[in-house]
Amino acid sequence: MKRRIATVAVVVAIGAIAVVVGAAFGSWAWGADDEPSAVATVDESGSGPPVCPRAERVSWQKLATRIKAPVYCPSWLPYPLEGRFDGVFNGQTVDPDRSYLVKFLYFDAGLPGGPQEVHVVFRGYPGNTRLPRCDNSTVEDGKVVHHFSPCFSDPKATKARFGSKLATLYTSNQGADQWHLLYAWRENGSLYSVSEHVAPPYTYGQVLHNLNRMMRTLVRVQPRNAAQS
Amino acid sequence: MGGAAASALAAAGIYELADRMATAPPRVATGARPPEQHLLDGIRVVTDNDVEVLVPPLHHQVVTAKLRVDESPAALDDARQSLEEALARLEQRFEATPAGLGVTVAWGLPYFHRYVAGQAAAHLPIDRRASETRGREVRVLEDSIRFPTDPPSTRLESNDVAVLFRSDALDHIAAGAKAVFDDLDGLFDVTSIRKGFVGGGFDGGPGLPKQMAKAAGIDGADLIPHGSELFLGFTSTQKAGLGPSRIANIETLGYADVGANAYFAQGTHMHLSHLFEDLAAWYLIFDFQDRVDTTFRPRLDVPQYTRTVPQGPDDVQSAAEVVRDYARYRQIGHSGSIQPTSRLERDTVGRDGTLYPRGTAVPQRADFNTLDNPFFWTADVGRDEYVDTPAAGLHFVVFNPTSDDFRRNRLAMDGVMPNGSRLRFGTGSTGRGFNSILRTTHRQNFLVPPRVHRSFPLSEIQGR
Repeated sequence: MKRRIATVAVVVAIGAIAVVVGAAFGSWAWGADDEPSAVATVDESGSGPPVCPRAERVSWQKLATRIKAPVYCPSWLPYPLEGRFDGVFNGQTVDPDRSYLVKFLYFDAGLPGGPQEVHVVFRGYPGNTRLPRCDNSTVEDGKVVHHFSPCFSDPKATKARFGSKLATLYTSNQGADQWHLLYAWRENGSLYSVSEHVAPPYTYGQVLHNLNRMMRTLVRVQPRNAAQS
Repeated sequence: MGGAAASALAAAGIYELADRMATAPPRVATGARPPEQHLLDGIRVVTDNDVEVLVPPLHHQVVTAKLRVDESPAALDDARQSLEEALARLEQRFEATPAGLGVTVAWGLPYFHRYVAGQAAAHLPIDRRASETRGREVRVLEDSIRFPTDPPSTRLESNDVAVLFRSDALDHIAAGAKAVFDDLDGLFDVTSIRKGFVGGGFDGGPGLPKQMAKAAGIDGADLIPHGSELFLGFTSTQKAGLGPSRIANIETLGYADVGANAYFAQGTHMHLSHLFEDLAAWYLIFDFQDRVDTTFRPRLDVPQYTRTVPQGPDDVQSAAEVVRDYARYRQIGHSGSIQPTSRLERDTVGRDGTLYPRGTAVPQRADFNTLDNPFFWTADVGRDEYVDTPAAGLHFVVFNPTSDDFRRNRLAMDGVMPNGSRLRFGTGSTGRGFNSILRTTHRQNFLVPPRVHRSFPLSEIQGR
């Protein structure tokens, strides 16, 4: 009898893992296909308000204070990412114009089914709502060919609403967001974006699902004034 | 024919879905079958973005084979009679429109060399234009070459015969393939079966390419625009972009000397190739303007997400314009780079008496998307690097008057201009049309005889 109970427990545990993994890697087709003209509202139902994880809160707070503008901390990241700023492949950059980039990256080239990469990028452009432009200049036959284009391109006609944020999905992006799906939104005179690389283990639909979840659970972190910091 | 090939001919595989995903458009037959095998009657014309578009058959299949026939005249006579009877029965059963079945039988150089070498030497038309350019006699049918952007792995095939089946109904194609390759057991060793689809979205639906790619789980499938005729998102069968009526016949434009008895008059040349398309890169890296630039011409201004971009005679690029684009942007467009060789430079009266105005397209394309990897079935899995997981690609089928005419167009796509000068690009450059997201796996040229000589051409003539 004990053995049977143990077996059942293992099966239940495997089932639970399958559910968790399925949720993490599961297919999700929201907005993948159609371009209706109306604004789509994403379900915000949840068990409680999202919270910036305690371990990362300090890093996001420092960033906000450094750029003197609010930043958005993800309370959820796609598996297996961790939101630590000091992770092996993770990092942040801040440009002189106070715009920032925070990236979290997982990469494993040695898996049986081929390399796997999970890469998300968070950006903010304080005091600037214009889409950034990327330098795609190339050298062809000895000649430098200057070519500048929007860093975020091919917007979907439907905007998605996540609480107060009305975001546009861009499907062709440049720079650190190349190969990524990207949501960008304007808020209080600033532009923000969240993007994720479309690459195994996640399909296009799963990346979109991940992005929606990240967008739903972003936490706004206000800068501390100099006296507080 | 082997059991495995017979099973593959009968199987629809993932393409069975295509029959459920698209409704066959209305087709109207207008008359008797033309003497040309490659012309299909009843092609519907729709207007998209104020551009006339030809609606191709939804489903396509190409079967390639080697012959099992003995080289003796008696064996060839029997084979010719058997094949002709089978084809005639198909013509009685199906109308000559996409609602029925289009069958085009094309023959490769190995057939002409092995079975009818003497007759071919006498009757295979000489390509006057190519002969003059190259300073030696060139026939209308030559072996294909690897083009500058082809990888070294591109396989140059040597099939005896290829048969193209086209229809809006998969079961018509299956019936045709069975009649030719299964019922005529003993004539052919099938080497490959290639299947695919095109269109299906002109009446408002999502289109077969998007639906099929999504069903197959192809990376980038979700980003194929709604209603696209092909995976890459742009309409490719606009009327002005395809050669009209008999322009691709061997004899029409006078490129070739068809000889005193004009045996191959009303025939044409067919190039068959397969290439993979990297849809994820196409849609995630190239934005809409990039896709327009590389598909048509650099900096072409069209409204966002236009799927049918006008390519009429007034939109055609000259060689000088292509060179100017290269000088300025180090970039050429796919269509733009080909147009100096694929469109008529001046008003031309064809041998059929038709006035073809300057800017008229010559090639008649019959290409179709596929999920084959690289073929639906192959007799040689290792040689063809067959994999049984779906992959986005294109079976490229095009009719030109001669092998050389196709070669000129394809070289232009790689930046080799009509005068032979080369526009130079770095390895992997995105400046050379959309070649950077394509990878060609197989190529072969074929001759398409007129309908009257479609079965074992020249074999009825003595004198090998």
